[in-house]
This record gives sequence, structure tokens and C-alpha cells, in this order.
Amino acid sequence: MMNNYNQAQDYYNYTNNNYNLPGYNQTKVESNLYNPYNGFIRGNMFPELYNTYKIDKPFEIKPMNEQAELLTYIDSLDFATIDLNLYLDNFPDNKDAINLFNQYRSLKEQYMKEYEGKYGPLLLDSDALNTYPWMWNQGPWPWE
Amino acid sequence: MWKYEKKLEYPVNITRKDLKMAKYILTQYGGPAGELAAAWQYLDQRYNMPDDKGKALLTDIGTEELAHVEIISAMLYQLMRGATIEELKDAGLGEHYAQFGMDLFPSDSFGNPFSMTYIKVSGDYIADIESDMGAEQRARATYEHLMDMTDDPEVLAPLSFLRQREIIHYERFKELRDYYLKKKI
Repeated sequence: MMNNYNQAQDYYNYTNNNYNLPGYNQTKVESNLYNPYNGFIRGNMFPELYNTYKIDKPFEIKPMNEQAELLTYIDSLDFATIDLNLYLDNFPDNKDAINLFNQYRSLKEQYMKEYEGKYGPLLLDSDALNTYPWMWNQGPWPWE
Repeated sequence: MWKYEKKLEYPVNITRKDLKMAKYILTQYGGPAGELAAAWQYLDQRYNMPDDKGKALLTDIGTEELAHVEIISAMLYQLMRGATIEELKDAGLGEHYAQFGMDLFPSDSFGNPFSMTYIKVSGDYIADIESDMGAEQRARATYEHLMDMTDDPEVLAPLSFLRQREIIHYERFKELRDYYLKKKI
């Protein structure tokens, strides 16, 4: 295992206990958010907006192999940036949310680089396309 | 422009074929409260939002809805994978097979083809955003109905994720609507 993969493990297990605090305050967004993985499995980074139906607790993602595990980090961080993006469109002056967005975005870039180096490109912008033969047309496809 | 990313926003790994569920979920592909209608509605409305804030939010939520079209499509593909003709006929998908084979085709659960008349645009940004709030609520309700009809965790997980996104989108549209009403743009 590579070193920064182990760091990812720490990050992955990081739990944010602050979201139980009362008084959700939109100007102090960062301490009230789920971490990227916990937000991702819920489909929602904002505990105050989280609302369940039928299921008692969110489904954990259980990666079958190292590739799927790395993709789960990317998915989680990607999700966190998507949800923060929508929030920031409405609240563009929230410095904490901007910092958090950029923290997750840059972490995602690191994992993308590692993933694409090992398993092939996710985007046509990837350095992993500098290979012979052409790798973009290789499966597996996202729906498989 | 849009760029393709070779992954889903949320993973879909359905191992148990379920043609009846596929037929029900079809409505979230090409039905009146489906992801395709939502994506197109927001992306058509964005041009006449009164400021950059609204243009950004409609572009970004519209873009996310396109990713949801792909999640629903992956669910349909996996729920129908390996089905025999007899199984398709029994599940009420014989007509689908006759016309489209095993390809996807956007329709509602009854088989009515997707219609652009599902999308609500009005030329009035308050009316537009309020129709978006309604679209999100109807989609949330549909996801709840779909969740009522299965106990397969592999199907419930993506349905639950998508339902939760409707809640967030509703909230963001509501914030934007309230901001415009307060600002009296």
C-alpha cells in the first residue's frame, strides 16, 4: 500500500461529532457538516437537512477491492464538493465553506491522480491517457 | 459544455434481476417527475434568471440531474440484465422488448414516451423556481413510492441517495426564491 493511501484511511475514519450541536448557523457551516464519506452515503452533507425514509441508517459502501475502495474516496470527496458547490451558489460569502470546498477539491485531485495512474482515466484531461495503446476506450463502464 | 466522467455520482451494484421494479423505476427516467425532465427544465430556465446567482444554481443542479439520469439508467440496465423473453412478458415489459429490445427508452412506468411537455418554463423566474421546488417535491414523493415497493438493499441504496438529493435541491431552490422575493429584483 502506498503511503498516501494510508493517510486516506485516517481521513476516511475521521468522524465529525459536531453535527449534533443545536443552532445550525449558516455562517458557520464547516463544524456542522458530515465528513465526506458520511455525507456521501446519506446523499447530504448538511445534518440539519437530513431526512430519512424507510431505512433506519444509511447504507455503508462496501468496496470489493482496492480499486473500488479508492473510488469510494473519490466519490465521497466529489460528492462533498458538489453539495458545497450548491450551497456556495446561494451563500458565496461563506469563507469557511469556500475553504472546505477547496480542501476537499484538492484532496480529490490527489486521489484521482493515484486512481488514474493505477486503473486508467476517469476524465479525458487525465495524465493517464499518455499511454500506448489508447486507454480511454477500455471498460469497465460506470454502469457495469 | 459538459465533460464525461467515467464514474457514477453514486455507485449502482444490483445483482438481483427485478423486472417489475425496473418497470416502476422507469418513471424516474422518462416520467413526469423524472430526472430527464428535471435536468431539461432547469437547464432551459437558467438563461433568464435575473442574476449570476440564479444562473449558477440552475446550471449546477441541472448538471447534477444529468448525473442522476445516468444513475437511473444504470439501475434499469442492471435490473433487466439477463432477462428472458418470458420474464419480460410476465413483468409487462413485452411491449418494451417488441419496440426497443433491451435498449433503454425514456418513458413513464405505463410506457408513455417521455414528453417535453413535462417541463415547466414560464418566462417568470419566480414562477420558474417555484415549479422547480414542486418538481423536487414530486420526485421525492415518487422515490418514496418506489422505496415502498422493494426491500432489496442494492436497490434501496441508490433510491435513498436520489431521494435525499431532492431534499437538498428543494432547499436550495427555496433559498434562491426567498432571496429574490426579499431583494425584489
